[in-house]
Amino acid sequence: MKISRKWLEKFVDLNGISDEEIAYQLTMRGIEVESFENLSAKYDGIVIGKVLEVANHPNAEKLKICKVDIGSGVRSIICGAPNVSIGQHVPVGLAGAIIPHDQHDPDGKPFKLDNIKIRGVESQGMICSEYELDLGSDKAGIMVFDEDAPVGIPLAGYLELDDTIFEISITPNRSDCLSHIGIARELAAAFSHKLQVPDYEIHEGDKAVDWFAEVEVLDYTLCPRYSARVVTGTKVAPSPRWLRSALERVGMRSINNVVDATNYVMLELGQPLHAFDLDRLTGRKIVVRKPHPFETKFVTLDGKEREIDPDMLMIADAEKVVAIAGVMGGQNSEINPSTTNIFLESANFLPSSIRKTSKKLGLSSEAAYRFERGVDPNLTLLAVDMASAIIQKTGGGDIAAGIIDAKTSDFPRKEIQISVTKVNQILGLNLTLSEIKQLLESIEISSVEGSEDKLHCSIPTFRGDVNREVDIIEEVARLYGYEKIPEGLKTELSFDSRFKEHKSIDEIRNFLSGAGFVEIVTNSLQSKDLANKSSEQGVLLANPVSDEMAAMRTSLLPSTLAVVKTNLSHSVSNLKLFEIGRIYLVSPFKQLVGNFLEVDRLAIALTGVADPISYDRPEHPFDIFDIKSEIERLLERFKLDNWEFISYDNSKEYRYSLKLVIDGRDAGILGQISAMQLSEYDIGQDVLFAEIDLDVLASGVEKNKRYKPLPKFPFAFIDLSFIVDANVPVGNLMSSIRKVAGNNFRDINLFDVYTGEGIPEGKKSVAFSVAVGSDERTLNDSDISDFISSVEQQLKEDFGALLRKQKT
Amino acid sequence: MPARAGHSIFGENYKMMQEIHSIRETALIELSRLQDKQALEKFRLKYLSRRGIISQLFEKMKDLPKEEKPAVGKALNDLRSEIETNFENTLKQIEFKEIEKRERIDDLTLPGRKRYVGRKHPLTQTLDEIKRIFFSLGFGISYGPEIEDDYHNFEALNFPPDHPARDMQDTFFVKSESGSYLLRTHTSPVQIRVMENNAPPIRVIIPGRVYRNEAISARSYCLFHQVEGLYVDKNVSFAELKGTIGYFAREFFGSDVKLRFRPSFFPFTEPSAEVDISCFICRGKGCKVCKYSGWLEILGCGMVDPNLYRYVGYDEDEVNGYAFGMGIERIALLSYGIDDIRLFFENDLRFLNQF
Repeated sequence: MKISRKWLEKFVDLNGISDEEIAYQLTMRGIEVESFENLSAKYDGIVIGKVLEVANHPNAEKLKICKVDIGSGVRSIICGAPNVSIGQHVPVGLAGAIIPHDQHDPDGKPFKLDNIKIRGVESQGMICSEYELDLGSDKAGIMVFDEDAPVGIPLAGYLELDDTIFEISITPNRSDCLSHIGIARELAAAFSHKLQVPDYEIHEGDKAVDWFAEVEVLDYTLCPRYSARVVTGTKVAPSPRWLRSALERVGMRSINNVVDATNYVMLELGQPLHAFDLDRLTGRKIVVRKPHPFETKFVTLDGKEREIDPDMLMIADAEKVVAIAGVMGGQNSEINPSTTNIFLESANFLPSSIRKTSKKLGLSSEAAYRFERGVDPNLTLLAVDMASAIIQKTGGGDIAAGIIDAKTSDFPRKEIQISVTKVNQILGLNLTLSEIKQLLESIEISSVEGSEDKLHCSIPTFRGDVNREVDIIEEVARLYGYEKIPEGLKTELSFDSRFKEHKSIDEIRNFLSGAGFVEIVTNSLQSKDLANKSSEQGVLLANPVSDEMAAMRTSLLPSTLAVVKTNLSHSVSNLKLFEIGRIYLVSPFKQLVGNFLEVDRLAIALTGVADPISYDRPEHPFDIFDIKSEIERLLERFKLDNWEFISYDNSKEYRYSLKLVIDGRDAGILGQISAMQLSEYDIGQDVLFAEIDLDVLASGVEKNKRYKPLPKFPFAFIDLSFIVDANVPVGNLMSSIRKVAGNNFRDINLFDVYTGEGIPEGKKSVAFSVAVGSDERTLNDSDISDFISSVEQQLKEDFGALLRKQKT
Repeated sequence: MPARAGHSIFGENYKMMQEIHSIRETALIELSRLQDKQALEKFRLKYLSRRGIISQLFEKMKDLPKEEKPAVGKALNDLRSEIETNFENTLKQIEFKEIEKRERIDDLTLPGRKRYVGRKHPLTQTLDEIKRIFFSLGFGISYGPEIEDDYHNFEALNFPPDHPARDMQDTFFVKSESGSYLLRTHTSPVQIRVMENNAPPIRVIIPGRVYRNEAISARSYCLFHQVEGLYVDKNVSFAELKGTIGYFAREFFGSDVKLRFRPSFFPFTEPSAEVDISCFICRGKGCKVCKYSGWLEILGCGMVDPNLYRYVGYDEDEVNGYAFGMGIERIALLSYGIDDIRLFFENDLRFLNQF
């Protein structure tokens, strides 16, 4: 919201107070000033001049050499405008001035004026157009002022632009500050000045308002108060300069004197008003009601047809809807140049109703913005008086005698009791009752002392946000100054195991980043397409920004592949990535929230070469055994021992994949991504990927660690090599050996797989190093040869394997 | 010298002893000159093998008179053991030299063999530091769901239905036939969940992902991360809140940072404040980052609005507390000097590897 310093000065004396100080005080009182601009500084070096002579330029047909009186002397200025002529009062830019727009620049950038020679003749300034001065869009000729414009005075002063405009952001609770008087009230309190509320003299005519119009409110809940006046015989015309200037300075377009009067009052007091053409109100009657069933469409002021529904509050005349209450008027009763009799509405509407209507219509307005935040119900009379006075002053006519004021009750001040002890306890201060009383008085909250430490406060009706003791405590804090409240840190220690961090996730992050993985964080919203393709039922957004982000992800794979692609496009082609992130599913069962299931997952991706390129080792691209190894490392690091990989090849995302099962629970999938899947991301190299359920993994991480005595007896290491059919899975051989070793099993490593010379066609040689040991004694030669022959026999039985070599 | 010795001096014994002496001399000199294993082997064959000089001397000893054998035997044994020891040492030294020669690296400027270096995401690093600071103040931690109901995200946080305060946060709604669900717009609903399930005192931080239905730009993304803080107990004051936030800011941004608490509005706190820190880039003089104000907004906070206690079943006369919330991205942007929030989610390694 834009606030004008000049306008504020109507209500509060700001003499000698800098713009910076005003901005600081407002900000520190919770009225955030985002920026401010001094308009007279903007027009420094631009003055009113009078054209004395106009002569042709000797070297240019279209240019004129003008002698211009600028008060302090006469300047020779070259001008190309077709409308320049003797006797005109014009804006003159002098050397050093910044002209807001360069007419010859396509973007209209500002430029600094200098005395320059044009076609051999010096120009000592520039006569400006409306566009060049950022005062309008007219570029065709120079601006010409009335003849009474005093020669030599600064342009900013003449146009009443000697002002500072503050850009202010108002929080939703402070609707009282959506006006100049509201801001002025805060400043008056800040500088301990008195707020001066000007009087508006009303010259009423003879005829009573009831003679002209009638108001009937059918729903006092949605419209607690409806006040109105009638102005007759006035003339709709362009607004006088002071009114136009006041509105334009704060960014509002001037329309005509009547509409401008209502807007001016709204910006000054915060009360939205609406002016109807009285002669277009059938029956000269206003009915505040909900629409009839057949009233489903309505054309608003902006020319758009709106769909209205039965819950919206309407302003109607005797037969038709004429406005959407508190939101926007209609074309059918709009003020137009031939309007002479005006019905001025100054009403109060229920905030939630206005908000619902405005939301449903997708239609916001200055009025709706204020009504949905709450307007002081006691403002209607002052506002309608003021607007009537301005209309009369600018367009003439009569103000009908009296005000229509439909309401069922008065709107008294709220009474709230506060405890001084409580105020001090919550703020950590030691204020006395009289200090608090004094602070509150500065913003018109009056109070009387009660029993003990109590203070009975009376809240003005413009502070609709102050309803409870704690609201007044906030006001006390604000007025005292947050800055002055001391920092305390005497918090009592509490020992609380309810909220301890589960170490697992941090541990996994530490381990993986130590193992050479870079952590990524990706978007959990994904495209509609991906959601449709997913085998899992995912969560869809009802109001997505775009189809690209219309669903919640059901896997970390797509966003990881997108990251791979991004990096490949920058020629970063070797990647070890991990992400700890959530996926979102729709469950058949009830969950904590609805039936939405949120699962934390760990994703790992490998692509490129397994070790960075180096001078003395061959390049080995990551393959499935690298991803398997990373997972095995993780499992080993976190002492998960009851796990297995199961072949799992029924997914279109993977070319090869394995399912990881931990303690009998499905823990995730790992594998090599299929070429088809990669092609969707334009990825031209293998990607290995694993997605693991974090809960299952973490359950192991958080297991209690227990010491086991170190082995007392040495292990025996036995190398065994077998010849088996080439299609026998090595994993099965390993688990068979493990089984035979039973309690004596200590470790097994595969150290060779060989086919080719010396091995029969269709067979392979597989060699293991097996460690066995016993807790009771050192294994002797016969134990070991018994073990070897058991293994030999078992593997022969199970796989037709032949023991080829052994070494102990 | 006794005459008897004279006989001995010039007898077989004497000659043998002299021979032993000279063999010792010669052998040790030869040994010291040897350079390689072949020569060493020759030496071994010459002196120490079964047919070698020392063995021959032992043969000769058989012919000596019985009473002279012990002295010569001892001398011979000493000789053999000395030469053997010296031989072994020389052999070892030659072997070491050969190994060193064989494995010599000439160019030590060759780079080390590269390995991948991993790191945590800058957002994780930032959160880790925030967690560390609040843990040191005795805060615990809690988490909550990202898909929320209207009740926890708005209503119980004192956002009445049809209230403009809801406009402060553009909300993504979730398609559902069973109720009104949304993506949480802040981590504050977890405050409600924590209080619903736990009796006071409560002191937790609540990190998590939140969503806003906003156009994506350098300044805003459709999601970001927050850390919420909640402390509810008896006798918690605004002064305590200022102390806690002050401690955090000085720990995180440096001990010389200045703080500014400004009145603000959040439906779930009363009084509410926004906290600025003095711009550490321009030291308060005004720069592009602080928009020439000298101040950087880092978080919102306030005293828990008593209405919340009613929603969670606490006695509002018995407890009070404070809450605060900050955006992790915002803190990271400021502390690392990053100018585009999208970088966090693009995961360009050229970016991630800078932290």
